[in-house]
Amino acid sequence: MQTDRLIDDYLRRLEAAAAHLQRSRREELVAEIREHIEAALREEDAANEVAVRNILERLGPPEEIVDATEPAPMEISRDPGRLETAALVALVVPFVGWIVGVALVLLSQVWSRRDKFLGIALALLPAALPFIFIAVGSNSGPETSLPVPGGKASGSGPEGMSSGDGGVGVLEVLGIVLLFLAGAPSAVFLGWRLRRSD
Amino acid sequence: MEPVQTRNVVSQLRRGTVEYCVLALLRDGERYGFELVRELAKADGLVTSEGTIYPLLTRLRKDELVTTFWQESEAGPPRRYYRLTDAGRGALADFTGEWGRFRDSVDAILMKGRK
Repeated sequence: MQTDRLIDDYLRRLEAAAAHLQRSRREELVAEIREHIEAALREEDAANEVAVRNILERLGPPEEIVDATEPAPMEISRDPGRLETAALVALVVPFVGWIVGVALVLLSQVWSRRDKFLGIALALLPAALPFIFIAVGSNSGPETSLPVPGGKASGSGPEGMSSGDGGVGVLEVLGIVLLFLAGAPSAVFLGWRLRRSD
Repeated sequence: MEPVQTRNVVSQLRRGTVEYCVLALLRDGERYGFELVRELAKADGLVTSEGTIYPLLTRLRKDELVTTFWQESEAGPPRRYYRLTDAGRGALADFTGEWGRFRDSVDAILMKGRK
């Protein structure tokens, strides 16, 4: 039925907009909005498309509802300080720096919850990528391997599939380079958000 | 279209005050959540949409200014009701006093140059 689809679409948009909220909080919000829609429908004579559209219109855009779950935005009143600068610097330093950086980002009251979520995701994803590259690189065949001087009896014949332990994979090198740059996208994004909230 | 700055101030004012309007609506007794939302949304300029009231109700519940309970209804599934707590009643009384002073002062200064 068309009306059911309208309602499902709306609730799905709400769930997507609330993706960064705690799971229990998100489920509660969706349940409350669903209850509201059902209560509103019982007030109508007929659950036709116009009635449903009006109910959803009055509820407002799902994104707006989710925005209202956050406490008053801090970015308007707070100035970026030393904590934020330290977080950005730390994020660029691999390993220990990421952990410190993520902790500082979480402590900060300047970034909104959504910015923090995106910023940390941007730090985690590129940090995971190199490990995948390195894993793939060490399993790959000889065609992606750089020849290492002195790596002799590695069987360079047409059947040289002997686990490629004679060379450093291109993917592995790329992975290590990426690993050291992994915090940069996050730092750039969070830095950009700081400037925008000035 | 009003300037962005004005809209910001109005939305900040809303955030701060609408929750006390919820408490005030509960002053005389418990209310069905859906009716509460419909009544608030009817007031001109108080909320942007009905949906934004639900997160606010959750916040009030977390702050223990209201409690909720379920009650059977003659037609349809059980309904969620809201009731003021003692803390909520206290917060409402405090705010009502502060708000009166605040509103009078702002009005007095805003209107001064106009007479």
